[in-house]
Amino acid sequence: MTDVPKLGTEIELALLEDERAVEIAPTKKPATPREWIRQNLFSSAFNGILTVLSALVITYFGFQLVKWIFVNAEWAVVKTNLRIYMVGRFPLEEVWRAWASVYLVAVLAGLSWGVSGLRLQWTPRKAAFRASLGAALLLVFLYLLEGLKIWTLTLGIPAAVIAGIALGRAGSRRLRGLVIVGWVLAFPMIIIFLRAFDGVPPRVWGGFMLNVLLAVAATLLSFPIGVLLALGRRSTLPVVSKFCVGFIELFRGVPLVTLIISGNFILPLMLPPGLELSLIVRMILVFTIFSSAYVAEIVRGGLQGVHFGQYEAARAVGLSTTRMMALIVLPQALRSTIPAMISHFISLFKDTSLLAALAITDALRAARRASAQLEFIGDQKEALLAAALLFWGVAFSMSRWSQRLERRLGVGER
Amino acid sequence: MASEMELVGTDVEAGPDQMIVTENVKKWFGNFQALKGITTTVKRGEVVVILGPSGSGKSTYIRTINRLERHDEGRIVVDGIELTDDIRNIERVRSETGMVFQSFNLFPHLTVMDNIALAPRNVRGWPKAKAEEKARALLERVGIPEQADKYPAQLSGGQQQRVAIARALAMEPKIMMFDEPTSALDPEMIKEVLDVMKELARSAMTLIVVTHEIGFAKEVGDRVLFFDEGMLIEEGTPDRFFSSPQEDRSKLFLSQIL
Repeated sequence: MTDVPKLGTEIELALLEDERAVEIAPTKKPATPREWIRQNLFSSAFNGILTVLSALVITYFGFQLVKWIFVNAEWAVVKTNLRIYMVGRFPLEEVWRAWASVYLVAVLAGLSWGVSGLRLQWTPRKAAFRASLGAALLLVFLYLLEGLKIWTLTLGIPAAVIAGIALGRAGSRRLRGLVIVGWVLAFPMIIIFLRAFDGVPPRVWGGFMLNVLLAVAATLLSFPIGVLLALGRRSTLPVVSKFCVGFIELFRGVPLVTLIISGNFILPLMLPPGLELSLIVRMILVFTIFSSAYVAEIVRGGLQGVHFGQYEAARAVGLSTTRMMALIVLPQALRSTIPAMISHFISLFKDTSLLAALAITDALRAARRASAQLEFIGDQKEALLAAALLFWGVAFSMSRWSQRLERRLGVGER
Repeated sequence: MASEMELVGTDVEAGPDQMIVTENVKKWFGNFQALKGITTTVKRGEVVVILGPSGSGKSTYIRTINRLERHDEGRIVVDGIELTDDIRNIERVRSETGMVFQSFNLFPHLTVMDNIALAPRNVRGWPKAKAEEKARALLERVGIPEQADKYPAQLSGGQQQRVAIARALAMEPKIMMFDEPTSALDPEMIKEVLDVMKELARSAMTLIVVTHEIGFAKEVGDRVLFFDEGMLIEEGTPDRFFSSPQEDRSKLFLSQIL
């Protein structure tokens, strides 16, 4: 009994390796650049024509864009209004509170990176990409930032990240728990930074900071609520499942803008007298409700992907329903929803720009306010493009992070 | 009918050597009746092999014993615990019965070690060290101690099924049930799983095995149950059943598979 299976094991492993070898067998690589061009761009007369045409179109529009960015565009509108973009009407003498929050996140991010033990891969191509990205950012900053104080504070951010990485690597495993606690406490701490000790009331929070805060709050709150809704939808109790279905269908079926406007005008009328929620809190509520309906549907999809055999196996070993869901079903269901989930949260983050419908100076409304100033009339393009870039930068980072997360959790592999 | 029930009822309390008592168990799926009144008793330490054509209700029958299927009529008593809608009874029975499935049903997001240690830790409340020690011993027993840190998808079918057996054994069950454990395996891996099952059969464990492996039934089976169309057609020792089946349907079945 002991010998035979082991023999079998080796054969099977060899077979497995064999299959893998077949799968990753490389296709023939072109030898010279010239050959590569011929194979990929001019493999036939038709492809050759397509290549030439596309090259012409791309060059033309690329040239126009570059010319506009570096010659025609008036970026002063962004430069002058940088603070409004970032923090809205946040009073100047209190902006240190926002900086403190940024630093907190920077240190935590660095620590997480350091503790995780991940190291950047430096292939020549990646190095070139990163160098040009860094150079582009530096150029933008060189133009936008003025004054020693701002420069010190800005350069302090990467410094804080690097310090976090170094500390994380040194402490490694011992710091792991601390970092998790840090992230859990980060959001409440930022709220305290902004508000406590005669801080700034949420009513004047604004700019990109507000977009981020609102998105983070709605994401953190709507995720557990959405999971509960998805589970409730499958409940055998009709009251629970009907309520969940009703909730999901109602809030998924109306445009977010109508919810935002209702949250602004109708919600206060429905609240009991004496309870007044500030506009920001009401907006967090609206975004959370809206988002949890979507999260619930994403999770439902994930739950459907879990094979019924998993439920049976979990029951057969004696797990209670709660443990079965928490330990067996949800981990599998949620892992398979990562791409859809991150996609939804990216979309939610961008949707925070709909706040511009109200009298809240988020990043998008900041752009419109900036280009409405007398000296910048006619500079909407520049102003809007700057706002778009802000959103894109965060959304793109989220997308990259989600890919990393997928790889680490092995979605679709196990 | 009523007096018969009482008789068996008293039997249960009087006869501690009776591990599983099923009495007139019936089960419907919509209009289709999968079980048409199964009555039999499995003794402590007995190895029962259930044979029958597909759709005969043999899998459904063993799945009623740990309540993966709810029986609609009749009584099922496992180790003195009657299966009712009471979830506490159901969970007690489930933690005393291990089950091995045709399609393994390992938890793909957990390592082999965690697959095995999960239930002892969460249902029995064992500390991590104790559960993992037990898991290591079981992996040794099923012949794959070196696979503890792998994920199920990295193992062959035969190895996965042996992990599934170890996972079921980790709860220290009194009964092990196998639902066609080798049917999804490539031929060269069947033996390694059967070897583990034979070793179990020779221990004091009570086994119920739904299978088409006649060799296994002959070698270690104490009793064969033959199912067809939701009914228990015939039962007896493997010797008698395979050499001189009594019922026409048993004869037909044996002529088709032998």
